[in-house]
Amino acid sequence: MSAIRIFWIGGLISFRALFHWLNPWIYVPTLLVAPLFQILLFVYVGRAARIESDSFFLIGNALQGAAVPCLFAMGHTIAGERFTQTLGLLLTTPASRVPLFLGRAAPVVANGWIVSMFGLGVGGVLVGVDIPPDRWVPLALVVALASASCTGLGLINAALGLKVRQTATFSNIIVGILLVVCGVNVPLAALPTWLRAVSEWLPLTHAVEAARLLADGDTLRSVVPLLGREAGLAAGFIVVGLVILRAFERSSRRTASLERQ
Amino acid sequence: MSAVEAIDLRRSFSSRTSVLRRAKETVEAVRGVSFVIERGEIFGLLGPNGAGKTTTIKMLITLLLPSSGSAKVLGYDVARDAVKVRRRIGYAFGGDRGLYDRLSAQDNLRYFAELYAVPPRTQRARIGELLELVGLRGREKERVEGYSRGMRQRLHIARALLHDPAVLFLDEPSIGIDPVGARELRATVAALAGQGKTILLTTHYMFEADELCDRIAVIGSGRILAEGTPADLKSRVRGGRVLEVETFGVLDESVDDVRRLDGVRSVTVEARTQSQVLHVSMDSEAELTAAVLGRIGDVRVGRVASREPTLEDAYVELIGER
Ligand SMILES: Nc1ncnc2c1ncn2[C@@H]1O[C@H](COP(=O)(O)OP(=O)(O)O)[C@@H](O)[C@H]1O
Ligand SMILES: [Mg+2]
Repeated sequence: MSAIRIFWIGGLISFRALFHWLNPWIYVPTLLVAPLFQILLFVYVGRAARIESDSFFLIGNALQGAAVPCLFAMGHTIAGERFTQTLGLLLTTPASRVPLFLGRAAPVVANGWIVSMFGLGVGGVLVGVDIPPDRWVPLALVVALASASCTGLGLINAALGLKVRQTATFSNIIVGILLVVCGVNVPLAALPTWLRAVSEWLPLTHAVEAARLLADGDTLRSVVPLLGREAGLAAGFIVVGLVILRAFERSSRRTASLERQ
Repeated sequence: MSAVEAIDLRRSFSSRTSVLRRAKETVEAVRGVSFVIERGEIFGLLGPNGAGKTTTIKMLITLLLPSSGSAKVLGYDVARDAVKVRRRIGYAFGGDRGLYDRLSAQDNLRYFAELYAVPPRTQRARIGELLELVGLRGREKERVEGYSRGMRQRLHIARALLHDPAVLFLDEPSIGIDPVGARELRATVAALAGQGKTILLTTHYMFEADELCDRIAVIGSGRILAEGTPADLKSRVRGGRVLEVETFGVLDESVDDVRRLDGVRSVTVEARTQSQVLHVSMDSEAELTAAVLGRIGDVRVGRVASREPTLEDAYVELIGER
């Protein structure tokens, strides 16, 4: 009972506590408009170079657009507590940590979904890619999975935040890697074999592929294996993140790592 | 069973001296602290900055593990039974931070009420009660970023009380609060003790400790220097008196000369805007006033008075003994 409340009510209150500074004047330009530039850039580069279709770049970059808010926001759910000096207060509560941190992840997934869907819809209109109406429901599902796996990776990053301060630095690096390695703009076939192997274990790779197939008219059933892979990765990241959180919380009592600002 | 029992607590910190060098520096923040707090007591930890008060509290509230030694809160070991300890204690520290500035006071309290599993049915009433207790009723819907230091401090205390803990740890709760606010805070702390709560309080203000605490431990450089009731501690300087001499431009050498006088226990110099006030703690005054004035030399002397020792004198003497 209290676990469910910590997940839902606690998750929402803490999202407001940590992200209230994201008023519309910051939110719209940073999280909705800026990703459109990335979509436009790659679509135009693609046209000029006569490689891949507009739809290839639209879908890749719209989905990758979820990575930024998911990674940074999830990292901030712990790094932000350092800033307000509430991390110590939080960790002296008896609250169960699993619903506490999953509750913080849920609004982040929802937000990533909104950002990504906006990029897909508005970006599609801007570059003139027509996605048939019956494709939107399966695409929405894929975007949700992509947001979840990016947030899962963000949870691992957040967990590192119990030990170090550089979670935003890590987020930057990861976002860059996701941009290059996951087939967002560079077709997987063009990557060196070892990078392709890495991409199998990153969020987005399978979701991007599935989204492109769906937009091309494939059925949801035919992309289930890809979606399964993405969902499996999301779950895996979340479990690893929770395990690291637990380990670092324990070791913080010994090493006083929560004290550092 | 005692409320809090600390046995030979020690804690050291090691930190890198720089990013590049591997060399480590170790600080021994707490070096063997033992004390017992009985239920319903207000126990004061008094000591200068860096004495180890906060580190001691952090071990008791399960945020830090002791390097060695042990402690129990209500019979539960702070290292092994952390969750059981956490359910039964409240913790508030002084200062501006530690609140979600962009939330209202009410939402700050609601969040922690969830984390402390305050039953949903009683939550609203409980929060209302606490807002009343700390005098924030009517302001609870405002964002905390607009709160004064005193209001924030009272909100901290309300948050610490949400789950009605039996033991309360207050780390410098009155730091930086105006005199009226500090007086109200003392009244609140006294009222909580009246309800049977056990309170461990750290403070720099002697009169606060004197007024509130049943017992006090003076801590310096990570060790307990003295422990007892405020009266006990004062009696350590009893049999003596304190001579206050206001001077204008007294020299350090003259102060040292006064220190060397037979019968003088300690001398502290309090710098004011224009003058310096010497607090000369001594065995008996009669023969010494003239001698002290003699040693001060040619500088102008203002008010001269003799008084009973206060807790502050006892404190200064204890800290000075180190
Ligand atoms: N996390 C830490 N890392 C390194 N040194 C610390 C840390 N926390 C406290 N210290 C040191 O331990 C000593 C005691 O600090 P503290 O317990 O905060 O004292 P107080 O609360 O009495 O002012 C100080 O010398 C302080 O610098
Ligand atoms: Mg302190």
